[in-house]
Amino acid sequence: MMQDISTYCSATYTWGQFAPAFILVGLAAALIMADTFIKTLPKRAYSLIAAIGALLVACYVYDGEHANAFGVLACLGTGLSILLAYDYTKICCASIAGGTGDEGTGEFYALPLVACAGILCLTQARDLIMVFVSLEVVTLTSYVLAGYFRRNQGSVEAGIKYLVLGAMSTGIIVFGAAWYFGMSGTFLLDASVTIDTLRGGSVGCGTVALGFLMSVALLFVGAFFKVGAAPMHIWIPDVYQGAPTPTTTFLAVASKTAGFALLCALVSPFRPLAVPGIPVADMLITAFAIVAAATLLIGNLGALFQSNAKRLLGYSSIGQAGFILVFFVYLGGRFETFSAMYMLAYTLATAAAFFAVAMVRTQRGSEEISAFRGLGQTNPRTAFLITVSFASLAGVPLTFGFIVKMYSFIALVAAMQSWSCLIWLLPVMIVCATAGFYYYFKIIRAMYWEKPQADDKPLCVPFCTGLVLTLCAITLIIMGTWPLIRAMQ
Amino acid sequence: MIQNLPWLFLVLPLLVAALDWVFFSKCPKTAATLSILSAAATFGLCIAYLAGLQTGLSDVYVWMPTNTDALDLHLGLVMDPLAMRMMLVVTGIGLLVHIFSIGYMKGDGSNLSRYFAGLSIFMFSMSTIVLADNLAMTFIGWEMVGFSSYLLIGHWFHKASAAEAAKKAFITNRVGDFGFLLGILLTLGVFGTLTFSEMGNVSGAVAPTLLTVMVICLFCGAIGKSAQFPLHVWLPDAMEGPTPVSALIHAATMVAAGVYMMVRLQVSMGTEIFTETACLVITTVGAITAVMAAIIATQQDDIKRVLAYSTLSQLGYMVMAVGLLAGEAAMFHLYTHAWFKALLFLGAGAIIVCCHHEQDIWKMGGLVRRMPLTVLCFLMGTFALIAVPGFSGFFSKEAILDAAIVDHPVFFWIGAGVAAITTFYMTRLCLVAFLGKARAHGAEHAHEAGATMVLPLLALAAMAIISGYGFVADYLVPAEGFTAPGFHFGCTFYVSLGALVLGLVAAIVVYGWGKRERDPLAGNFIATALRNRLYIDAFYDKVLIGGLQNCGARIIEFIDSALIRGLLVQGTAWLVGRVGILLSWLQCGSLRAYACITGLGLLLIIVIIAL
Repeated sequence: MMQDISTYCSATYTWGQFAPAFILVGLAAALIMADTFIKTLPKRAYSLIAAIGALLVACYVYDGEHANAFGVLACLGTGLSILLAYDYTKICCASIAGGTGDEGTGEFYALPLVACAGILCLTQARDLIMVFVSLEVVTLTSYVLAGYFRRNQGSVEAGIKYLVLGAMSTGIIVFGAAWYFGMSGTFLLDASVTIDTLRGGSVGCGTVALGFLMSVALLFVGAFFKVGAAPMHIWIPDVYQGAPTPTTTFLAVASKTAGFALLCALVSPFRPLAVPGIPVADMLITAFAIVAAATLLIGNLGALFQSNAKRLLGYSSIGQAGFILVFFVYLGGRFETFSAMYMLAYTLATAAAFFAVAMVRTQRGSEEISAFRGLGQTNPRTAFLITVSFASLAGVPLTFGFIVKMYSFIALVAAMQSWSCLIWLLPVMIVCATAGFYYYFKIIRAMYWEKPQADDKPLCVPFCTGLVLTLCAITLIIMGTWPLIRAMQ
Repeated sequence: MIQNLPWLFLVLPLLVAALDWVFFSKCPKTAATLSILSAAATFGLCIAYLAGLQTGLSDVYVWMPTNTDALDLHLGLVMDPLAMRMMLVVTGIGLLVHIFSIGYMKGDGSNLSRYFAGLSIFMFSMSTIVLADNLAMTFIGWEMVGFSSYLLIGHWFHKASAAEAAKKAFITNRVGDFGFLLGILLTLGVFGTLTFSEMGNVSGAVAPTLLTVMVICLFCGAIGKSAQFPLHVWLPDAMEGPTPVSALIHAATMVAAGVYMMVRLQVSMGTEIFTETACLVITTVGAITAVMAAIIATQQDDIKRVLAYSTLSQLGYMVMAVGLLAGEAAMFHLYTHAWFKALLFLGAGAIIVCCHHEQDIWKMGGLVRRMPLTVLCFLMGTFALIAVPGFSGFFSKEAILDAAIVDHPVFFWIGAGVAAITTFYMTRLCLVAFLGKARAHGAEHAHEAGATMVLPLLALAAMAIISGYGFVADYLVPAEGFTAPGFHFGCTFYVSLGALVLGLVAAIVVYGWGKRERDPLAGNFIATALRNRLYIDAFYDKVLIGGLQNCGARIIEFIDSALIRGLLVQGTAWLVGRVGILLSWLQCGSLRAYACITGLGLLLIIVIIAL
């Protein structure tokens, strides 16, 4: 007997929740129309409009009725990656139009807005239908963006790889959603549904609980793919290295935010079960701990021997995701808040790092770490700002990165009070945090300890790059030094 | 909001330092103005608080929250008379030194923004030490002053000796700080807290030996920072920095931080925590420093080094007073010494500038006729230092000697002896540098310094004269409920008067009235030993650094090559290398392999979660 679909979803949404997403889609549509019909406006202007639009929406999401941290992060990340595209125009034109003309570059600036709208919907999603639809909006756009530099072989390769593997992960999520619906009879992501179904649902049968766990595992794998957790990280180094740098920034920052928003939505129904002795909790925590450890090890050890700055940042994004996953190991804790906070530190530092890579790539023609040589002498101030962002990624005290990394350790210690067997994760985290110092400081070493070559001119810092580097560095230092909790005497 | 006004003491200089460094590194005038304004503002705020401004208790910030309360890193301010009056010394002298620096650094080729940023960051660090309400915060300030001192000693870093001196100061302080850190940990163990105001009660019975060890460990910090024997070697070398820096950091404030810290501990822990053994160690170290530094000073030719050794010697007095449990006397001497020693250093700075950067007193001479005002100010400082009755240094030295006379006559006579030697070498300095005729080109063309240099000198000279009398001291000496002792004619008075006369007569007999061309005492083996600083620095270089370190290095090298390099590092590197190869094998670039790995991962996670 057919029932109305709404009883299955039963999550009700208001239009207001999606207002920011609509604004972004509207802006993107307007920009694409303008791109097609107005020939006089330089395409570069679209990137500025799009970036400002995204950042304004970030303020709106921050202040609005349906404020949520991941939405702000997504808008911030998108805005920054479009701003990066503004400074990257020269390469964009060469790689898209094949010369200095800007034909066909307009969409490249507008499409991230659509993806961002998808992320905003995802942060509001409370059932799997909405999750799936919004996730598709993000990923489909990202495929296009990754392969957008069609004259660049690496970009095309990245696009294909991302498309195939991304499609596979989408398939896994759909498969998981089908199982979820089959076992629980609803798409709703809710603690009561979870608890009911784990008790055997309406038929009270143990197989139902097993099938439900199967569906949850499938959904988690989909989310792990998005955040780049091992062993679903495998696409990251290749795609990050090959994709256009603005797109890489978007993937590393905004798309990863989407992944963690998804993971939060999937994990929060299990929070009430986070009591020692409940087998589901034990299994989930074991799974998260193993995935976190594998992610940490692969990301950080893999980064040790990289010589390409973009690939290094790719591995770094895996390693940092490992530290965020530790928050989920503490299943009973406030993993939404802390993963958003970690993502903020990561977003600011990583975006700044990509701005630096793009600047060096544009002016020295190389993305290798060695291309940063001697910046400490030729551009002392810029070198300092870059140092701050990499120091924050490494977790040097007095930067924001240190604080959030410390919280990651605190979360593990808190989790260990109930699950003392998790102690093996601690040495893994320590080793990985130490390894971070080695490979992030490779860039810092190149800037200060290597002499500039004879024909190295000081880099000319583009306006947006300078602005973003400065603001990111200031924020990282302020957040790292500001006393965290004020207690009145 | 208003109750957080005291945080300005820290925030303002720090902000200014950041601004100077980041934005105004190319405009030294703006940087200097900002630094001076910040120093003036903190000075004004300090006066307002001393005049009775009440704003309530300031907030305490939890900087590094941990799960247990006692281990949290708090940032809080203590605003008792001890701290506020000490702040007056710091900000007051700081302001004058800032102003003096304009004149002193005029025409200097180095980056002045860097210099003023350094001064501001020093003001921030020093205020942190003074106002800290717990030992952890003190330690943060402690390291920060070390850092700013490093920056400022090495301001002329292109000069190899300055760079070396900066390094030496920093590393020598490390040694003391290691002990200090141990002491802080022991304090946490004994009291269960690091906050000064909560240290009043010892938890249970604590073995006196433990207390002794704790106090001595904490005192290690003071040994390093206040340059006491055997870690005194960095202070004379620190004179490589610009002279105003020497006045502010290496004479008046930072080096006194050790004394301040010890007195702060005595006030908050109670003097009964300071066991007899610990006190004896402290007093002895102070006495050794006082005597040794005074003797070495008699054979120094560099005007700044004479003053540096006299600083060491006076710090020895203060540490002696701490050891004698006479914290008030120690703080009294700290306070008078800060003013007159800053005066002497700034005076020396003015003389050095006007003699075209000549620091050797034997190449000066006849300065009293060419720059009478500066010389007059310098003499006021000298009178205070050699304790001429009526000058500020006289009262505070009396206070220390009075503390020793009853129970520790040995230290009383040591103090008196040092007073005689002090008079001798300071008189020698004045006779040689100011009288007679100019012995070098620089001194012949000396002229009076500019207003930015003379005005601070006049202000300091006034303080050097009056700061010991009750109508000033009662309100400004950093000690709770202090009353100035004033004149009283007893054994101490006559002994120190005798020491003064003895030193004066001896110096005049040996050095005449400015007619000598070179030092009549030089040449014999004692003088050579003194000129070589009793070979202590050489001993450290040869035996400690050369011998012990190399010997230790051989042992460590064996451990390193066999165990660490062979087994651990190469083993780990091999392992990591294998992992890397495995990872790169995983990362082969083949799409099918990637899909396969993802699929295997999927299976793994399903197995963990569902089965």
